[in-house]
Amino acid sequence: MIQFDRVWKTYPGGAEAVCDLSMEVAEGETVVLLGTSGSGKTTTLKMVNRLIEPTRGRIVINGTDIMEQDLIQLRRGIGYAIQYIGLFPHMTISENISVVPNLLKWPRDRTAERVDELLTISGLDPEEFRERYPAQLSGGQRQRVGVARALASDPPFVLMDEPFGALDPITREQLQDEFIELESEIKKTILFVTHDVFEAVKMGDRIALLDAGRLQQLSTPAELVENPANEFVDSFLGQHRFQLSLLTKTIKTIMPELRPTSPESGSAKSEARLRARSSLIEALDLFKKTKQATLPVYEGKRFLGPIEKKQLLKVITEVLGETGETS
Amino acid sequence: MNTLIAFFQKLGPEMLQRTMEHVYLTFLALVIAIMIALPLGIYLTRCRRPKLVSAIMGAVGIIQTVPTLALIAFVVLIFALVGLPTIGTLPALVALTLYALLPILRNTYTSIRQVDPSVIEVARGMGMTSNQILFSVELPLSLPVIMAGIRISTVWTIGIATLCGLVGAGGLGDLILKGLRSYLMDYLLAGTVPAAVLALIFDSALSGLEKWLTPQGLKS
Ligand SMILES: Nc1ncnc2c1ncn2[C@@H]1O[C@H](COP(=O)(O)OP(=O)(O)O)[C@@H](O)[C@H]1O
Ligand SMILES: [Mg+2]
Repeated sequence: MIQFDRVWKTYPGGAEAVCDLSMEVAEGETVVLLGTSGSGKTTTLKMVNRLIEPTRGRIVINGTDIMEQDLIQLRRGIGYAIQYIGLFPHMTISENISVVPNLLKWPRDRTAERVDELLTISGLDPEEFRERYPAQLSGGQRQRVGVARALASDPPFVLMDEPFGALDPITREQLQDEFIELESEIKKTILFVTHDVFEAVKMGDRIALLDAGRLQQLSTPAELVENPANEFVDSFLGQHRFQLSLLTKTIKTIMPELRPTSPESGSAKSEARLRARSSLIEALDLFKKTKQATLPVYEGKRFLGPIEKKQLLKVITEVLGETGETS
Repeated sequence: MNTLIAFFQKLGPEMLQRTMEHVYLTFLALVIAIMIALPLGIYLTRCRRPKLVSAIMGAVGIIQTVPTLALIAFVVLIFALVGLPTIGTLPALVALTLYALLPILRNTYTSIRQVDPSVIEVARGMGMTSNQILFSVELPLSLPVIMAGIRISTVWTIGIATLCGLVGAGGLGDLILKGLRSYLMDYLLAGTVPAAVLALIFDSALSGLEKWLTPQGLKS
């Protein structure tokens, strides 16, 4: 768990980058720090691994104030990945990923095994990429290595500062999906910075929206979109409200009457299945792809009931009405 | 052909000895210059006082603008004032070392400063100590540029060391001076040609070393 307790950061020039920030990132949770450029996201993140020292307040990790922990040990226990990646150009991919395991004096074969494992789950063939140099990789591949390096020693905490920010939209989405997939297995406590509200909604269990160094709202993506805490949050979401609603509303939220007790209907023979936690966008996509009029909804392996395309479209029209009024 | 053989019979041994002296002087000056400039350059990249950094860089830069002959004269004069020997290897060595400092210092300082800041940031963020960052990130990445500085210093020093004949430090400058005083072309050549050849040899040897030391991942 990471706790911020009334944290302030004022830079020597007088810029108040972070003002009176209090929040918690629970174990295994991903909290996204969201905000426009200059809102204090990077400053907040870097205070956790003490690349920047707070002016006032406490940050507690694992129950201990970070200022009381050994600086080097603290950092070695926290994965760190940034937009500009910062791969070591003179080291091979394998050497880059091995940096922290080597600092922690892991045995050689364990490190080598870990490198191959990480390359594999990052979608990079170890045989092909292990001995390459960063200059011989594409931007997307480099960023995968950057993330793999941050995870190398399997740290319980990970800090990520716009890690996919420099990528083209397609590669970016691919890496986001891969990371969500990976994250669901490793369950780390993650603080993730982005200025992109869609990325925030996609990656975050909760979103911390910052403005001018002040926390505006800390809530789940759905809550943020449904119930903006103030004018600022409302205008920040702005014209994206409709799309965001389709992303954050799930089948379950629009059809609360679905229960595992519902008897299986004919349409359940369909190969294509929706999940109770699928977003409306995902549902719409699946209807488009399968061209079916009804799709079965499952929660895990249990069948909940059918949903009709008509039903979905009706809800979407309603959402359009709601979000149209507010924006 | 016969004149060439006669030339070598007459001047060969002296040429060889002067060349050895020349190499010795150059080598010594460079080793001392590297021992000063490299740590100083590294220290300056760590120094949090920008005024001190520009003062030191400026001072070393000014040495460079003093005409070589004048610098040697100053060193001799100062040596005379403080009672140190004014003739021989020592004043020559001091002047040469002062001259060789700048390219090494400047290249060390700027190449370390130019290492991609995001690389350094991640290195710190991952928990590398300042020394680990220096030795396994900054220096390997800066090595080619530092080597280029050493190469420039070497070539300059070989040329400048000919002037040290003036203060009786030996070297190829001795032969050149002899040629000048007695209007003897063969002495002049015996001093000049080896100096030029030495410069060429060291230049290409050191640029070979530079390439060899360039990390694999930085070669295009
Ligand atoms: N090293 C620094 N010195 C002075 N001001 C800084 C420094 N770093 C950031 N700031 C200021 O602090 C504020 C927050 O910056 P930052 O945390 O980088 O924002 P973000 O990551 O959200 O773009 C900005 O106004 C920025 O200008
Ligand atoms: Mg930032």
